[in-house]
Amino acid sequence: MVDGISFIAVSLGAAFLLGMLRDSWRFAAYGVSLATLAFLTWNAFCWTKGFAVDGLVPIEIFTAGTPPPFAVNLRLGLTESALLLLVHITALLSAIYLRDTLMQQGRRAMSVLLVLCMALSGIILTRDLFNLFVFVELTVIASGGLILLSQDKRALGAGFKYLIVSQVMSILLLIGIFFAYQATGTINIDGMAEQSALLFKGGFLAFFLMFMAVVLELKPFPANGWALDVYESAHPAFSAIISAAVGAASLIALDKLLLIAGPDWLMLTSIIGLITFIAANLFGLAQENDRRLLGYSSVGQIGLVMLVLGQKDILGDNYLFVVGGILLAHAVAKAGLFWISGLVQGRELKDWAALRQRPLLLFAFASFIALLMGLPPFPGFYAKWELVHALAAADRLWLLGLMLFASLLEAGYLFRWFGYVIKRDLPEQPLACPWHKRTVVMLALVAAWALAYIWGELSPHSNLLHLLPLLFALAFLVLEPLPAWLKNLLAIGGMVVWFLLSYPGYDPLQLIYGGIILIGGSIIFLASFYGSAQRRLGFYPSAMLMYAGLSLLIVAEDSFNFFAAWELLTVGSYFLILRGKESEPHALSYILFSLGGAFLILAGFALAGLGAGQIPLARLADLSGQTSGELAGWVFLLLAIGFLTKTAAVGLHIWLPGAHAEAETDVSPMVSGILLKAGLFGLTMLLMTMGKQQLYGVELTHVMLWIGAISALVGNLLAVFQEDAKRLLAYSSIGQMGYAVFGLAMMNHLGWMMALMFVINHYIYKSMLFLSVGGVAKRTGTRLMYQMGGLITLMPLSFIAVLIGIIAVSGVPPLSGFGGRWIFYNAIMSDEYRLPLVIIFLAGPIAFLYLFRLIHTIFLGQLKDEHRKLKEAPFWIVLPQMIFVAFLMIFALVPGLALRHVDVYIGQFFAGGPSLNWEGLTITSQFGQWAPIPIMIIIGVIFMTLFLWLLFVNRRAQKVKQFNIVFAAERPYRPETTHFAWNFFAPYRKALGFLTQPLVTRFWETLTDLLHQLADLLRRFYTGNGQTYAVHLLLFVVAVYLLQKGMM
Amino acid sequence: MAQIAMATGFILILIGLYGALTNRNLLRMIIGFTIAHSGVNLVLVAVGYLSGRTAPILDSAVPMAEAAERIIDPLPQALVLTAIVIGVGVTALMLAYAYRIYVTKGTLDIGKCRELKW
Repeated sequence: MVDGISFIAVSLGAAFLLGMLRDSWRFAAYGVSLATLAFLTWNAFCWTKGFAVDGLVPIEIFTAGTPPPFAVNLRLGLTESALLLLVHITALLSAIYLRDTLMQQGRRAMSVLLVLCMALSGIILTRDLFNLFVFVELTVIASGGLILLSQDKRALGAGFKYLIVSQVMSILLLIGIFFAYQATGTINIDGMAEQSALLFKGGFLAFFLMFMAVVLELKPFPANGWALDVYESAHPAFSAIISAAVGAASLIALDKLLLIAGPDWLMLTSIIGLITFIAANLFGLAQENDRRLLGYSSVGQIGLVMLVLGQKDILGDNYLFVVGGILLAHAVAKAGLFWISGLVQGRELKDWAALRQRPLLLFAFASFIALLMGLPPFPGFYAKWELVHALAAADRLWLLGLMLFASLLEAGYLFRWFGYVIKRDLPEQPLACPWHKRTVVMLALVAAWALAYIWGELSPHSNLLHLLPLLFALAFLVLEPLPAWLKNLLAIGGMVVWFLLSYPGYDPLQLIYGGIILIGGSIIFLASFYGSAQRRLGFYPSAMLMYAGLSLLIVAEDSFNFFAAWELLTVGSYFLILRGKESEPHALSYILFSLGGAFLILAGFALAGLGAGQIPLARLADLSGQTSGELAGWVFLLLAIGFLTKTAAVGLHIWLPGAHAEAETDVSPMVSGILLKAGLFGLTMLLMTMGKQQLYGVELTHVMLWIGAISALVGNLLAVFQEDAKRLLAYSSIGQMGYAVFGLAMMNHLGWMMALMFVINHYIYKSMLFLSVGGVAKRTGTRLMYQMGGLITLMPLSFIAVLIGIIAVSGVPPLSGFGGRWIFYNAIMSDEYRLPLVIIFLAGPIAFLYLFRLIHTIFLGQLKDEHRKLKEAPFWIVLPQMIFVAFLMIFALVPGLALRHVDVYIGQFFAGGPSLNWEGLTITSQFGQWAPIPIMIIIGVIFMTLFLWLLFVNRRAQKVKQFNIVFAAERPYRPETTHFAWNFFAPYRKALGFLTQPLVTRFWETLTDLLHQLADLLRRFYTGNGQTYAVHLLLFVVAVYLLQKGMM
Repeated sequence: MAQIAMATGFILILIGLYGALTNRNLLRMIIGFTIAHSGVNLVLVAVGYLSGRTAPILDSAVPMAEAAERIIDPLPQALVLTAIVIGVGVTALMLAYAYRIYVTKGTLDIGKCRELKW
C-alpha cells in the first residue's frame, strides 16, 4: 500500500516520462503505461481492502504540508478507494483492450490516458473546490483528446460539441466557486459545509451555479445531446471509461457538493435524476444503433444513481450499500457491454447475434444485462430492494412508481436486444475477437459475479449465492460441454434428491406444490432424453434456474427470499421460453409482463414492510390490524395483480398463448404444467395470510372471483377458435387458471380444495397433452390441426394420452377432472355469488368444444397423404405421457391419497365451514357423495356395452379406402379451407365471436406503439447541432433555477 | 472601480456566450468562448479586489504583522492565473479540433457536424 498521493503523482510522473521517450519506443511506452495503471490498480485494491476488511480509518493527505484552508487537502476513505479502484481497473482494462490503437497512436495518446486517470483520481480525492474545478477541466481536456482515438470521423463533431458544453459548464463552475468563496471565505469543501448557513444567506446563486456545473457533468436530460453523440462515435474502450469511470467520479463530486448543500437540495437532485432516468429509457426504446443505445442506457443509469444520491436523507446507513450496488453494477455492465461492442462488427442491435458463435461471450452479455436490470443475484437487486423499501417507508410513492416504470422501459429495450442476439440470423460479418479483447470482457464478467457475491455478503438479508438450488443451477453452466443425456440425468437426480431432502420440512400444501415442481418436473425431464445427442447449450442452466426459483419460492418464509425466488424463476423461464423457434416476440412480452408484475409485488412488500427491510410472510396477516386507512388493501391489490400476471388472468394474459405454444416440445409442459403454479402459490400465500381485504369499500376477493370467472370464459372461448393445437392448449390454460383463481377467491374450504385439485390436475393433463401434441407436431411437422387427421392408427399411444387427457380436462366421469368438478359444484353451492357462477358454468361446455376438436381433427377423420408413413412419437416423449396416464388413473381412483391431508390442513384456516368427509374410498359432502371406484366401474360397463353394440351393428359394414372416390371440379384457391377441420366451429364463431375480439391485445399494442412513437418523436429534440445543445443546457439551468426557487 | 470591472466582466461573458451560440463558424465560436473566459477572469479578479489595499507581496513595504489588514486577498488572483492556463489549454484543444474538422470535412460550419443525432 503506497501513499494516497501516488494516485496523482505516479500517473502524472509516468505521463511526463512518456513525454521523454522516443517516438519509436512504442513497446516501452505501452509497457510504462500498463505498469503504471497496474500499480495504481493494485494500490487502490490494497487501500479498499484496508478500509473494508482491516478497518483502517479514512486518512487526510495534506499537500504542501499545511492543513486546510491554507493548502489543498485530499481525503482517502472507503468510498474514495473503491472508486479509485473502479477508475484504474477500467482504465487498465481499456488500455489492454486498446493495445493496437495505442501502439499506433504512440506515447502521446498513452500519456493522455494517464492524465485522465490522474484527473479522475483528483476529482475523487480532493476536498477543495477550486482543485475540483482544475481536475474537472483536466478531465475535459483529456477526454477531448481521447475521443479522437476513434476511427469514426463523426467523433470529431461529437468531440467539438462536448467542448462547447464543457466551456459553458466551466464558466458556471468558476463563477459559482468564486462567489461561494466570497460568501464563506473558504474554498475547502468541509469548511464550506460548516458555513453553509452563511453561504445560503447571500450565495444561493453561487451554490446553484456550482451545483449545476457538476450536475451537467452527469449528463442530465435534456442537456445531454452531446454525451450521446460521444458515446455513439468514440472508441468503445473509451466509452467504457466515460460511462464507468468518469460517471463515477462525477457522482462523487456531486455527493461532495450535496454535503455543502444540506437537505433542501436533495429532492432536486432526485428529480433531475428521475427525469433523466425516465427520458433516457424512453428514448432507448426507439434506438437501433448499439452504441447509442448503450449511451442512452448509461445516461439513464447515472440518472438513477443521482436519484439515489438525493435520497440520502432516508437511506441512512444503507446509503453506500445502495449507491454502490447500483453504481458498480452499472459500471461493470456498461464497460463490459462497450467492450463487447468493439468485438461486434455491425452497428445494429441485430448484428450482436454474432455473439452466438461464442457461448462464453453470450453468457457475459446475458450477465451484463441481468446486472443492469438488477436481477438476482446481482448487486442491483439487493440495492433496489433496500431503495424501494426506504422510499415506501418515507411515503415517496410517486418517486417509487416512476422509477419502477422507467425500469420497465429499460427492461423493454434490453430484453428485446437479448432476444435479437438469441434469435436473429447470424450477420455476415463474424466477430472480430483477438484474445486480449476477449480477456478484458471475461474479466468484467468475473467482476460482475464477484460483486454479486460481495453484495450478497454485505446484504442484511441472505446471500443468494449461498442457496443450494441456485448454485446447482449455475453449476450447469460449467457442465455445458457434457452430452445432454448426462446433464439430463444430473438434472433429474438433483431434483429428486432435493425433494427427498426437503420432504420432511414441507407442510401438506408445500408438499403438493413441491411434488409437482420437483417430482413432476423430473418426469417432464424424461422427455428431454429425446434428441439428447446434441448438447442443447443453455437449456439446462435455464431450466434449472427456473426450478431453483420455484423450489425456493414454496419454502420462502420472508418477503426478501420470496421475491428473490420469484425473480429467479421468472428469469429462468424467460430463457427457456426464448428457446422456441418463433418465440422471440412472445418471450419478450412474457418477461415484460412478468417484470411488471414483479415490480408490483416488490412495491407491495415494500409497503407492507412499514419501514422494516423485510418481513416474515406470516406478518402480512397482521397488516390490517397494525395500520389505519387503506394500506392493507393496497398491499393486497399490488401483490394480487403481481401474482395474477403469472396466472395469466384475463387482461394480463396476452403473453401466454405465444409463450407456451412456441416453446420447445419439452418446454411447453414445464412452463404450462409447472410454471403457472407459481402464480397460484403466490395467491394461496396471499389469501392465506391476508384473507379478505377491502379497498374503498370494494371487496377485493370478490373482484378476484369475477376475474377468475371471466378468465375461464374468455380463455375457453379463445381456445375454441384456434387452428394451432398448441395454441389451443395454451388458451385452455388461461381458462383452467381462471377456475383455480375462482376457487381460491371463494375463500372457503371447498373452494380451496377445488383450486388445489386444479393445481394437481392441470399439471398432469396439461403436461401430458402438451407432450402428445408436441410429439405429433414433431412427426407431422405442423401444429395446424387441419393439416392433420386420421393419426389414430399410426400414433395409438399419443391418441390414448390425448383421449385420457381430454376426459380429465372436461371433467366428465370417471377421471380426476370429475373430482375437481364435483368439489367445484359443492363449493359454489355453498356460496352466495350467483352471477360469476353462471359465467363459470357457461365456460364448462365450451371446454368440450375445443377438446372435441383436438381429438377429432388430429386423430380421427381422413389420414393425409403425406402422413402415411409416420411413426409413433419418439419413445422418450411417449414415456412420460404413459406415466401421466397412470397417474390420472390412480388419482381418479384414490384422490384421498393427496387430498385428505390438504383437506385437514386447509381446515385450520376455515374453521366451521363446510368440509368433506373422507371415509374409506368414498367422499361425502353436505350435498352428496363421490365414490370414485363405483363410478369408474359404471362408466366402464356403459362404455363396453356401447362399444360391443357398435361392433355388432357394424359387423357387415364395408371398409372404404380413403381414395375410393372421385375428385372432381377445380382445385380451390386455398385447399385447406375445404377441410372440415378448418374453422371447425364456424357457427359458434358467428354467434360468440364478438367475445373473442382481441381487445386486450389491441390495448397493450396501442400502449407500446404510443410509447415507441413518443420516444421516436421526442428524441428528435436532439438535433445534432452543438449550438442547440448548448442552448438546451442554458435553458435547463434556468428551468432548474426556477424549480429550486419554487421548491425552497 | 471594482464594480465597473465586474460589470464589464459580466457584459463580456454575455457577449462571448452570445457570439459562441449564434455564430456557426467554429473559429468565431472559439473566439466567443475566449471572450467569455476573459470576462470570467475579470469578474473573478474584481471579486477578489478590496479597495484601498495593496498587492499581496510581503516585503519591506508590507510587513508580515500588518499583512492581513493591508493586502488584498491573494487567493482569487492565484486561482485566476490557474484558470487562465486551463483556458488556454481548452482553447488550444478546440482549435486543434477545428483544424481537424476543416481537414476532414472541408468546412468550419458547426451546422455541418450533424451526422450524429437522435
